[in-house]
Amino acid sequence: MKSRARFSTLRRWLALLWLAGLLVAAGLAPVLPLPYAPDAPDLHAIAVTPLTGQHWLGTDPLGRDVLAQLLFGARTAVLVSLPAAALATLLGTILGSAAGFWSNDNIRIPAVYGLAALGVVAFSFVFQLSSGTSILLLGIIAAGLSLGAARLHRAGYRQVVALPVDRAVLGLGALVASVPLLILALTLAALLQPSPAGLLAVLVATYWPGPARLVRAEVLRIRALPYIEAGRSLGLPDGRLLYRHILPNCWHTISATFPISVATLIGLETTLSFLGVGLPPETASWGRLLASARLAPTAWWLILSPALAILLTTLALRQLSNTVSRNPQ
Amino acid sequence: MKRLFLSIGCLFTLAACSTPASTADETVRIRWSRDPENLDPLVLPNPNAYEAINLLHCSLLTVDYTQKKFVPWLAQAMPRVQQQDSLLLVTYQLRPEATWDNGQPVLAQDVAFTLKVMNCPGLPNEAARAQYGFIEAIRLDSLDQRRFTLVLRGRAQELVQSSGDYPILPEYKLDPQGQLRPVALAALRADTARTNPRRSPAVLAFAERYEAAHLNQHPENLPGCGPYTLKEWQPSRYLLLQRKKTWWADRVKNPAPQLVANPTAISYEIIPDDATALLALRRGDIGVYPMVPARDFIQLRQDKAAHNLRFYTADSYDMITAGFNTRRSVLRDAATRQALSYLFDIPGLIQASQQGMAYPSVSLVNPQATAIYNDSLPLLKPDSRQAASLLSNAGWRRDKQGWGRQVGNGPAQRLELTFSYRTGDAAYEAIVLQFRTAAAQLGIPVRPQPLEASLFTKQLRAGETDMFLQLLSGNPFAYNFAPILHSQSLGWGNFTGFGTAASDQLIEAIATEADASRQARMLRKFQRLLRQESPMVVLFFLQYRLAAASNLTNLHATGIRPGYEAAAIRTRPVSPLQP
Repeated sequence: MKSRARFSTLRRWLALLWLAGLLVAAGLAPVLPLPYAPDAPDLHAIAVTPLTGQHWLGTDPLGRDVLAQLLFGARTAVLVSLPAAALATLLGTILGSAAGFWSNDNIRIPAVYGLAALGVVAFSFVFQLSSGTSILLLGIIAAGLSLGAARLHRAGYRQVVALPVDRAVLGLGALVASVPLLILALTLAALLQPSPAGLLAVLVATYWPGPARLVRAEVLRIRALPYIEAGRSLGLPDGRLLYRHILPNCWHTISATFPISVATLIGLETTLSFLGVGLPPETASWGRLLASARLAPTAWWLILSPALAILLTTLALRQLSNTVSRNPQ
Repeated sequence: MKRLFLSIGCLFTLAACSTPASTADETVRIRWSRDPENLDPLVLPNPNAYEAINLLHCSLLTVDYTQKKFVPWLAQAMPRVQQQDSLLLVTYQLRPEATWDNGQPVLAQDVAFTLKVMNCPGLPNEAARAQYGFIEAIRLDSLDQRRFTLVLRGRAQELVQSSGDYPILPEYKLDPQGQLRPVALAALRADTARTNPRRSPAVLAFAERYEAAHLNQHPENLPGCGPYTLKEWQPSRYLLLQRKKTWWADRVKNPAPQLVANPTAISYEIIPDDATALLALRRGDIGVYPMVPARDFIQLRQDKAAHNLRFYTADSYDMITAGFNTRRSVLRDAATRQALSYLFDIPGLIQASQQGMAYPSVSLVNPQATAIYNDSLPLLKPDSRQAASLLSNAGWRRDKQGWGRQVGNGPAQRLELTFSYRTGDAAYEAIVLQFRTAAAQLGIPVRPQPLEASLFTKQLRAGETDMFLQLLSGNPFAYNFAPILHSQSLGWGNFTGFGTAASDQLIEAIATEADASRQARMLRKFQRLLRQESPMVVLFFLQYRLAAASNLTNLHATGIRPGYEAAAIRTRPVSPLQP
């Protein structure tokens, strides 16, 4: 029993050590005294084996230094995957908590505001389209708004309608999740110019439904607890209840899944780079380094180094997630 | 019942254990790295399209790959040539055996029709107009329907060869009523899109009919008199050509090599990825792999497990060039372009990207053509000092952000470039990365822009690139630079935007000069002009590297595109596996 606990502690420390090393490498990569830049080809050392000259980990078939690519690839992984996971989690938390807390009938707004908002959204969408289609659509929208206004006139302008937040968030999430993550990310990445910002947007746009569903379920559970009922009976506003009393209790779930999100997004970024989309060609990436092995199938070092980096990072993040879930403090 | 099952079981067991019999499938499978994209005989956007069209259609003359010279194909013999002032009169006689698929003979009228199509307004024939603009007129023989004379502007012998090097199109299919017959070729040639064309209803109707045939994607709508027909084309997957059961040349007694088509079918397998293509070759899924990447070629040649393959090399007329878009304000002056030329490490790139299987050149002329190659020009070597000095001469000043300059009262310019190239070729990526690194050391930011093939072509045509990499194909027969550097080729072949009155005149003079020594002098002058103006940098000429299954023979491996002769390939039966 003792040895098992000791092994678990060792694993935890190893994982933390690896992740700390990764962060240091990512942060210090531009100032490290590397003999070669990651995108500078050494034309006299094409696909050379490790420990050849100053190329400690060898070079790829274009003569780029593998060590420099690994370090700068770590930087790319951290700079893309970490913000992407944070933003996707933030977006998922906002949408999931709103859906769980207000459900489908707890936010009520005057119908006239709803109609105006709908009109603004519809018109702004239509103005993006070509003129031929937009005239027809404008007509349809105007007719719909007129009908809505007439109905409001009959019912009285003070009529309120419930916003189906839960249904909207779940529907949108289901829509995004209905397409396999890789296919969706590939499609979006193909539409955008390759850039780190574009890749970040693609990763956030495709990954938020997971955290949203998780937070929604947690909020639904906490919302039914007696202390929330007590808060309501004391007359605390909804925003305060959600922000001060519910979300802090969701933190444990969010923090436990965050490392898993980072690991998944590193995997996704690596896959996209392997396929040659998402990042510009001069940006170092583990996936791109792995892909260069296709040009030199016998160059084992081109597979081993990035594969090890990806594997160890993923395992370390999973270990971190386990640690957080077992020890919330 | 038991016996029946036992018999069936034994049959299966025997079938499984027996040696596989050699199949009679003589389909030759050839790797293409990209789709032909467009099979309209007037357009032909890439060498693959050109290769396919040469199997579907016949021209008057063709290239004998073994002898490296033009030989008669639809023509019965090489044409008779007469000089008349500044013109050449070239008389052809068509073969009596030559027929279309419907049995009608190929006649001089079809050649006249083809020339009219190549000059008809409203058709995508800009390339043909530029390349064959020297054919002034065609005179049909009133006594012999298979005899005609082409009137060529200029006196160069290369013009005679070029005058017969385009696919002859069937009049019966595209113009069954003969509506174009009354329209003179000269009238069509004078008629350009710029000069408010005097188009007759017949010409307009014909152009509409041609467009409606959608030959770009449906070449089967225009059956040629070549040995093959298109059986199937799955864009970006494969293109399958089937040998005609009865081709007109089969009736020729003792046929010359160009009148023989051996494979019963040719399947061009479109495999963009080199590693996949290599695997397909090793597995026997493809039989011919042209232009194998240098590293793979060398490894494969040394690999004992690849004993079922044969390897061929030849010095080619294909060159990789880096072009500058001279219409961009930062690249408008020659000094800036010259400066950037000094950032390429050509010897290093030849070694790194081609494993030494390429050779440098000072310009667009192959160094092996010693009579016309301008060896007084030095080969380009990387020299960042010279580059910086030339940039200063061009008015650029280096500051903290890089290089900037002010030209007249115009806006301040920054020397920042995009470098576009077709994605999927490691050599291109290596070139761009080397240039980017050298430019970065000098303080010039360069953004690599890998593009999918059709998007790349689209951007080139729209002039939306700063610098670009391009593979240019030459040949040892003619020196016509009009399609790539003449100002009339802007937008479809001349992607650098280069072209002055003097350079246009020189290009035309080279193409039409009859005297070999005078032509050589002009060619040397043209190479010097290109070095001074630097609209493009010739990085290196490639060596063709061909790997083929050992049961395929008679490939006629050569340095002329595509590097082999598909129709000549013979398949040796595979011997049954020995136990």
